Amino acid sequence: MGFPTAPLVTIAFKDLAKSNAAGHGMPDLRVCFLPHPMTNKTDAEMYQVLLGSDPVTNKPLMPEIISALTTPLTADEQKTGTVRPDVGPPMYSGTQDELQRLYCDNNYTDFMPIILPTEEKVEAMLKGTSHKPDEVVGTLSAARGAQASWSFTVRHVAINAVMAGASPDYLPTILAISSTGQPSLFSSTSSFTRMVMLNGPVSDQIKMNYGIGAMGPFAEPNAVIGRAWTILSKNLGGCGVPGLTYLGTLGSNFNYNNLCIAETENKLPDGWKPFHVQKGFKPEESVVSIFSGWSLNNVAWFPNMPYHELINNWLTHFFSFGTGAATLLLDPTVAREAKEKGFNSKEDLSDYWSKNSKTPAWLYWDTHKNELTQAKAGVEPYASYLKMGDADLPFQRFYRRGRFGGPPEPNPKSSIEIIVLGGETNTYWAGGDFSYVGSASVDKWR
Amino acid sequence: MKINRRKLLSLIGVSPAILAGSSAVGEPAPKKARMASGPVKIDALNPKGMPPSVQLIPMAPRLDTLDGKTIYLVSDGFAGADRFLNQIAIWFSKNMPSVKTVYRLKAGGLAGDDPALWAEIKKNGNAMIMAYGH
Repeated sequence: MGFPTAPLVTIAFKDLAKSNAAGHGMPDLRVCFLPHPMTNKTDAEMYQVLLGSDPVTNKPLMPEIISALTTPLTADEQKTGTVRPDVGPPMYSGTQDELQRLYCDNNYTDFMPIILPTEEKVEAMLKGTSHKPDEVVGTLSAARGAQASWSFTVRHVAINAVMAGASPDYLPTILAISSTGQPSLFSSTSSFTRMVMLNGPVSDQIKMNYGIGAMGPFAEPNAVIGRAWTILSKNLGGCGVPGLTYLGTLGSNFNYNNLCIAETENKLPDGWKPFHVQKGFKPEESVVSIFSGWSLNNVAWFPNMPYHELINNWLTHFFSFGTGAATLLLDPTVAREAKEKGFNSKEDLSDYWSKNSKTPAWLYWDTHKNELTQAKAGVEPYASYLKMGDADLPFQRFYRRGRFGGPPEPNPKSSIEIIVLGGETNTYWAGGDFSYVGSASVDKWR
Repeated sequence: MKINRRKLLSLIGVSPAILAGSSAVGEPAPKKARMASGPVKIDALNPKGMPPSVQLIPMAPRLDTLDGKTIYLVSDGFAGADRFLNQIAIWFSKNMPSVKTVYRLKAGGLAGDDPALWAEIKKNGNAMIMAYGH
């Protein structure tokens, strides 16, 4: 940028800051560290931090910041040139046990036993696609822009698919997932997880389970394809290195399999489109769709009200890291009831929830500080909201927003997605904070 | 997914014989599987993709002193960064009053570029202190 800079980072991100600086070409960047966390400190406490020391160097903080901007550069800090990362030898040799241990120790796996990717097995896997082994599929990054973007080929994906236990007929689906550029392991401290759903003929062709236990460990492709996504995210995107490219403080058990599901298209109510058709694909196309979120709430509740009203109430009171998007996974029995109540499409039901769900007062005021100031100054409608006390406020939060920091979208659409799946053993449903990221063709990779 | 009932009953520990109404007759125990043993060596492929090469960038020359200089205090937008930078502004006003501080919120969050801000700092400022909130 051409001017001296002193970056301030909390100590929880020490390794991340150093590796990130190195990854962007400045391995000796003069990072000054603060205690962690800072967000919960008062202004007076923050000032005391300034008067204290850098917890890494133990040097007084403000003199260190000033020194970072004024001490002349060393020879290392002025270096130029190219550094080529070393990812190890192309092949490893050893016994089964030795290699299983080595792949674990190198963080190549999800720490469960793998199928070792021998040349023979990888060649067999590559028969699952017509694409050439050296074709570049795309790039993956633990956080695009902040972390390095790795590139990878069909052959790289095949190696990782073998490790996860995939058969060659799963390869086009795994290639489609990797082609989206979305890793299953994202670097955020918030412990993101992903969900992947299959639609179209591919679900039956590879025998995905979308009946009883559709989200559980009851079918090979559900288990293996979801697992492959995490293994390839580690190996093809550099993701999932705790402290460096993965910062999720609690982590997520979902990342073992990434909620790999298929929609129960043959049980959709009349007029309800499969998810991929909603997104512009033809019914006969095979598609993977990617979702991003954190949590799911599996609801076992037998209401005296219709399910669409129950779920509307759940949406009003549901909150998570994300408060503006939701995905509902409905058993076909729940979907049929909604159809009987007059919802002739998923879009009808999604719009109903978007328009009718509200926001608890505490959640609204906690996420709308400026509006609270205006409310106290008598500005409407905020002043009226404030008079409502603890009641649910008529503020609809499940709408698609514009880009972060950009203007709001005109006539925004509902941000609630609906998926139908399950075995009809009861009128259950699940909801969570997942938002739709995008879809990719499986057929393209056959 | 089609489920074979016979197979299903076996999986839950019930003899498939009940399907036919006959008395349960245990199937003969399978012979112990023979496993290959011994230190057989195999070759396995490295699963890693292709990380990009890194171009080393020389750091910008440092200032002789901060006296009389303009320091931009830049937040990445994460929680707490703005308040902490305000405390730095207060510190400078108390301890180095000749230093002028200017607060800015960087566009694009943590990872996004903000060329307009960098141009502004190059034109009007001398250095930057950037806080990554958390």
